[in-house]
Amino acid sequence: MAKPVSTLKSTFSSAESPRRESHTLSEILQELLRTDRLHALAVSANGFAFDPRSGQSFTVNQTGIDTVELLLAGGSLETTVESLSTRYDVPADVVLGGVEVFIRQLSRYLS
Amino acid sequence: MTTLSKRKPDWRRWSVGITGVNARPDNPGPGLAVARCLRESAGFNGRLIGLGYEVLDPGLYNDSVFDASYLLPYPSEGSEGQMERLMEIHANERLDAIIPCLDAEMSTFAHNETRFAAEGIRMRVPQLEQLRARAKDNLGELCDKLGIHTPETRKISDASFFDHCREEGWSFPLVVKGIYYDAMVVASPDAAKAAFHHIAAQWGYPVLVQQFVGGYEINLTAVGDGKGGMLGPVMMRKRALTNKGKAWAGISIRDAELEAMGHTIVSGLKWQGPLEVEALRGDDGRLYLIEINPRFPAWVYLTKGVGCNLPQALLGLIADDCPTKLPQPEPGTLFIRYAEELITTLEQFQSMMIEGVRLAVGDKNTFGKATGRL
Repeated sequence: MAKPVSTLKSTFSSAESPRRESHTLSEILQELLRTDRLHALAVSANGFAFDPRSGQSFTVNQTGIDTVELLLAGGSLETTVESLSTRYDVPADVVLGGVEVFIRQLSRYLS
Repeated sequence: MTTLSKRKPDWRRWSVGITGVNARPDNPGPGLAVARCLRESAGFNGRLIGLGYEVLDPGLYNDSVFDASYLLPYPSEGSEGQMERLMEIHANERLDAIIPCLDAEMSTFAHNETRFAAEGIRMRVPQLEQLRARAKDNLGELCDKLGIHTPETRKISDASFFDHCREEGWSFPLVVKGIYYDAMVVASPDAAKAAFHHIAAQWGYPVLVQQFVGGYEINLTAVGDGKGGMLGPVMMRKRALTNKGKAWAGISIRDAELEAMGHTIVSGLKWQGPLEVEALRGDDGRLYLIEINPRFPAWVYLTKGVGCNLPQALLGLIADDCPTKLPQPEPGTLFIRYAEELITTLEQFQSMMIEGVRLAVGDKNTFGKATGRL
């Protein structure tokens, strides 16, 4: 059964920046990895995420946790999508759409 | 023959005077938090003396933190009167150190540092020129000198500025700020004029107008050693605000750029004593300096919470007994303030009202002690 790939629920009240909207998914991901923002992100087993630079915290669902773990384990965008597609039995193009939304939202939270 | 080495004074047994013990829930002073850091620091068994300005400052009656408390005359009543009162308290308490915690009194303490030292009272406070350099109306100049971003700011003395400010390149919203305190975000010339008159009436002229920068505020506190070195720092982001914009809850963070900004300020000014750096992480990704406070912030208890007790480090620094490097605080430690009632007796309240002093129950010291019974 298809599941939504990921959602973020902020526990913080401030408006988020609309930065990076014009960048490609790959550019956004590279920036998150290059600046160590993704590596610094603490994500607990139940999906509580904390950004130690901004003090921002939010929650991610299981597919979000899996996505972050796969990316941090050194997976490329392609291999991450492939793994999620297999794990959740969802077509790769559907997974890619969900991952894109997730990474763009994550980048706004970590901006 | 061996030469006896001069022993360092042991700050753990000092009598320490601490000001700023007001603690209104919407805008607490830092004094009680500083005192709690010291009271809970390992091995400290000295005396903590609360110094307040209002008879209902709750810290004056908090005998779980302060061993004794005294009223001081307001700084606005003159430096001499305050010095006289402090010397009176010193004669009774034999103060080893004072930690001033309020902006308004800082110049008095800085101005009289030599006199305090002559009496054996140690302190680490910023010098007068450092206080001037970080004043709100000089902040732009300081930032230019240190290569730090700050929102464009102008001093104004006439509200008609808001009628033509758009022609000069200013855009709303703007922040209208008092020279010492208070700030209001305004979205129109009429709102700006109202804010101008309100702030000028309360805090005098000039009034500052600052370009509004969207984003979120992050703060740093540390101690400057006076030679360019910085002890700490501890950084936090506010997570809940009082209606005066003060932190009701906050969380420790680690922001390398904010830390670098702190180093630049402390080394650039050779800052001496505690400070708080208020900065804004703008929507454009830049870090802007908003304000430098020449004292510990009211949230300083978080420094003890993250294992980097800065009031303790300050006493150590004063006593020449401080580690050069403090533990790196872990991000993700949260503080949440709460209000509670403090119970005191009519005798204690009477003593504070009439004689400006509260001594601990059973204290042998009789200075200023209320003896009458109602």
